Amino acid sequence: MSIVSLFLIVCLGILIFIAYFHISNFILDHFVNNKSKKFSQETSIRAVIFIAPAFIVLFIFILYPVFETVRLSFYDKFGRDFVGLYNYIWAFKDPEFRRGILNNLGWLLVVPTLSTFFGLVIAKLADKIWWGTFAKSIIFMPMAISFVGAGVIWKFIYEYRGPGDVQIGLLNAIIVFFGFEPQAWITIPIWNNLFLMAIMIWIQTGLALVIFSAALRGIPKEMLEAARIDGASEFRIFFSIIIPYLEQTILVIWTIITILVLKIFDIIFAMTNGEWQTEVLANLMYDWMFRGGGDSGRGSVLAIVIMLGVIPIMIWNIHKHREEQKI
Amino acid sequence: MIKTIKLFLASAIAILFFNSSAFAGGHYTGPDLSGQKVTMFGPWLAPEDATMREVMDIFSKATGAEVEYGGSDSFEQQVMIDLKAGSAADLVVFPQPGLAANAAAMGGLAPMGNDIKQLVLDNYAAGQSWVDLSTYADENGNDQFYAIFFRTNVKSLVWYSPDNFEDNGYEIPGTMEELIALTEQMASDGNTPWCIGLGSGAATGWPATDWMEDIMLRTHPPSVYDDWVSNDMPFNDPKVLEAMDFFGSFALNDNYVNGGSKAVATTDFRDAPNGLFTSPAECMMHRQASFIPAFFPEGLEAGVDYDFFYFPAFSTKDLGTPVLGAGTVVAATNDNQATVEFMKFLMHPEPHEHWMAKGGFLTPHKGVDGSKYASDTFRKLGEILTGATTFRFDASDLMPGAIGAGSFWTGMVDYTNGKSAKDVADSIQASWDAIK
Amino acid sequence: MIKKINFSSLLSQLLLLFFVIIWITPTFGLFISSLRDKDLLAISGWWTSLTTTHVNEIYRMSGKEEQIEENGYFIIKGNFFNNVEGKKIQSFGISSKRINQFKIGEIGIFKDKSEVNIFENGDYIWKSLNKFEKKKGKRIFTTSLSPPKFTFDNYKEVLFKEGIGQAFINTLAVAIPSTLIPLIICSFFAYALSWMQFFGRDTLLAIVIASLVVPLQMSLIPILTIYNDIGALFGVAAKSYPGVWMAHTGFGLASTTFLLRNFIKSLPNEMMEAARVDGASHYDIFLRIILPLSIPAFASIFILQFLWVWNDLLVGLVFLDQVPSEIILTAKLKELLGSRGENWEILTTGAFVSMTVPLLIFFLLQRYFIRGLVSGSVKG
Repeated sequence: MSIVSLFLIVCLGILIFIAYFHISNFILDHFVNNKSKKFSQETSIRAVIFIAPAFIVLFIFILYPVFETVRLSFYDKFGRDFVGLYNYIWAFKDPEFRRGILNNLGWLLVVPTLSTFFGLVIAKLADKIWWGTFAKSIIFMPMAISFVGAGVIWKFIYEYRGPGDVQIGLLNAIIVFFGFEPQAWITIPIWNNLFLMAIMIWIQTGLALVIFSAALRGIPKEMLEAARIDGASEFRIFFSIIIPYLEQTILVIWTIITILVLKIFDIIFAMTNGEWQTEVLANLMYDWMFRGGGDSGRGSVLAIVIMLGVIPIMIWNIHKHREEQKI
Repeated sequence: MIKTIKLFLASAIAILFFNSSAFAGGHYTGPDLSGQKVTMFGPWLAPEDATMREVMDIFSKATGAEVEYGGSDSFEQQVMIDLKAGSAADLVVFPQPGLAANAAAMGGLAPMGNDIKQLVLDNYAAGQSWVDLSTYADENGNDQFYAIFFRTNVKSLVWYSPDNFEDNGYEIPGTMEELIALTEQMASDGNTPWCIGLGSGAATGWPATDWMEDIMLRTHPPSVYDDWVSNDMPFNDPKVLEAMDFFGSFALNDNYVNGGSKAVATTDFRDAPNGLFTSPAECMMHRQASFIPAFFPEGLEAGVDYDFFYFPAFSTKDLGTPVLGAGTVVAATNDNQATVEFMKFLMHPEPHEHWMAKGGFLTPHKGVDGSKYASDTFRKLGEILTGATTFRFDASDLMPGAIGAGSFWTGMVDYTNGKSAKDVADSIQASWDAIK
Repeated sequence: MIKKINFSSLLSQLLLLFFVIIWITPTFGLFISSLRDKDLLAISGWWTSLTTTHVNEIYRMSGKEEQIEENGYFIIKGNFFNNVEGKKIQSFGISSKRINQFKIGEIGIFKDKSEVNIFENGDYIWKSLNKFEKKKGKRIFTTSLSPPKFTFDNYKEVLFKEGIGQAFINTLAVAIPSTLIPLIICSFFAYALSWMQFFGRDTLLAIVIASLVVPLQMSLIPILTIYNDIGALFGVAAKSYPGVWMAHTGFGLASTTFLLRNFIKSLPNEMMEAARVDGASHYDIFLRIILPLSIPAFASIFILQFLWVWNDLLVGLVFLDQVPSEIILTAKLKELLGSRGENWEILTTGAFVSMTVPLLIFFLLQRYFIRGLVSGSVKG
């Protein structure tokens, strides 16, 4: 498709929506004469105009698929015959499913914790240093890259060549420099998960860093000054004052990254595609849905499990949010 | 459920090059299809996709229809998404008939009429066998004819550099025992005998299944192979374990494989043969199908810089000279005029001859001009086919998608990573059981 | 006291430097790699890029067609390098078993007694007393010193030959509407949820927040099926640009609405009250008051959503055809990752091209990016 026609379609697409709002409101304005009498009616109609597109989109793209997926999880692979809890029972007995859950748990334990930790430490380190903003930019930069791009970058780090061959992967080059044998990092069971997690931590620490930086500025200076005058070391101040003060923020960041990690898919898809026991639930779901014939029943079960995993965290997050709003 | 596809004995495929056909040669001419569009989705990426686009352009120029080809490394997953949602391309190129059968059972393919079926019967050597391989059960369980095989390949080949063999004084082995001895000889000479690479994106593991199939054909009679394909013989039968261990005797031996056994699963199959051409040579031999020269470094000449020999059989087993082969099959998802006309176009010699000239392409089409083959090397491939006492189609391509494009692949990757043959076979058998 | 502070400050700065180096090394390595000559790239790591590399190669001399007769000898001459500057042959061999048998200046003697002289710049002279019979020439194994070589060739090749240029445009065509349309729709929605009274408003808000939970993989097949039904009804393709715009809108709706609502709700009430009293309709208020005030929020959300869409892989894979006219950058990159693994130059450069836009946005508009992220998570 030529650039010109693409451009035209893009403009058209955007204009349609602008036009919808403008025209519908325009019509409403001009056909409702007596505002005082039909005030509430006018508001109701206008409300409908305002929320209609979003609501329709919400329904079609989020709500309907949820119901459809729940329905499909009780049906066979083609979505034709009702099979009750058969898919769920299969899932709990399937060793791949169990490993997927274990891997996800591993990710959940390691990535949010380390990202949050590094983010906080680096935020403190970079605070008030003249080149602090620059340092923060560097660490934050991976957030701008796509997961596939990150995959390519780290492929250059993890690349394996046979012993005796020249290593072009950075990690193996360092290992060989110190006299050890090169390893095919992403194929080593269990440890390979950690190597993949390193990529996620590399990306997400930036998020934590940025939020902590903002939060750090919110700490009352007087408190810190007082502690310093009393002779407390920076180290002590960090642990006894800063961390407790930021407790709320720490938890929020931790939950955000946790939700992101629960849905993790791209990195594993691009680097190993679930091979060598690195599969997580999202990849399993994709596999079962689409691989070798597809099984929408089992795929749906996996999707639901992912959703169920995220729900408690979301509820807790919203609860906290509501509490803050009330203050 | 998919009906198990029965295999065929077809030494008659050999008559590829010489017999007359129902099509007159020369250029394809077709009806006027201007304003219509034909899209195709297949597994081929660079550089093969460029050739497919050229082939499609022939059709486009002759009919005025617009054509487009898209390929993907995760074809097997992507195509399922599309078929389920009904948004597949007009034509889909399946690397495995087993997957095509899945698609048919889902109701995703449009059956082709008897006129196309007749074209296959008339133009392909052993036409009936090819028609059989393209016949699958639809969603109601009735057999229908769906697809055309475009681009077939022979798999029981070992590629090597004749110059390197000459330098080292190696002779081409005529029997499997000689090949094993040669492997040992190479290793003790300080050379690395084999390059093996299983990497293939989402399809990683499939080259190992080819090894398994070639080995099965050389260690057991063809009836055992057939039972293995249909799962009448369970996957974890000792005969299969024996074959796996034989593969392991090459792939798991760090001295026999370039990069050691750890590199086997992480090396892409397209990169693996490069080891034949490096200085110093990273390996001496590479067992792979006839399409692999497309991925060799540029500027190499067939017969001069590289050549192949037949992956030999055991002299002591008295199983003759079995040959493994496969092909990609093109099926239609609708019966639009342009789509059907393209299927007919595929039965004309011209698209075949175009790709033949590029190399890495074989066909059972009797009407093609044999001189259009890229080299004597490919003509030689025909001889391998004529000399075959047994011919079998790639087993993993015939097995249902969940196995043949799923657990068999991942199982073999696990095997090269250290999982025991028994565990691997057991889990593959479990996936068979899960779909019954 | 002053000394103590300086020391600990120095220590913490060193620690920070350590982190920064670790964080930037991977990307830096990729960048350097994308600028290296492709042959060098395949055989050595980027950390050696500033040093001279040993390169082993195999060349084939010309065969009998090229021979000339001179002084009673039959001679074949040529040059291996085709005028590629810089490489200097150090040693060569005539058999794959001994690739470094001869140094430059020594004469290599074949089994058939013919002699070959190789020069540093790649020239070769092959002499024999007897006529050359074979069409294919013999191989020469060279070991050369190749100086560091950086080039923009990789970028040229990738942008024009490998279809990445087209994928770039496609991604742009996907990302811009997929960001603007949600903004348009959600801003009205968020306004309604903040300042308009209607039946079921709180329930609706709760549903929006709840839908943040849904993983997008759930929606793939149901939505694609709907698209296909619509396509069949109207005779259009199921996989299309408008389709993927709406899909991204759908997936981004919850978070965009949530963020916008938080922002709009925090705007001062008095202005709007005053406008209502003056008889302005909600639409007027929205257009004249809310919109101008919300520009910072819009900017932040625009960037967040744009980056999310630009970097997305799955939605683009599923809702667009994998054909050159529609494939997006991330999908193209994944394709290259799988199939051109050994053509590192294409991989590195392709990855960098796909990263230019996000990185550009990041560096120029960092402030808004950060603000967007922060506003979603920290109170105030």
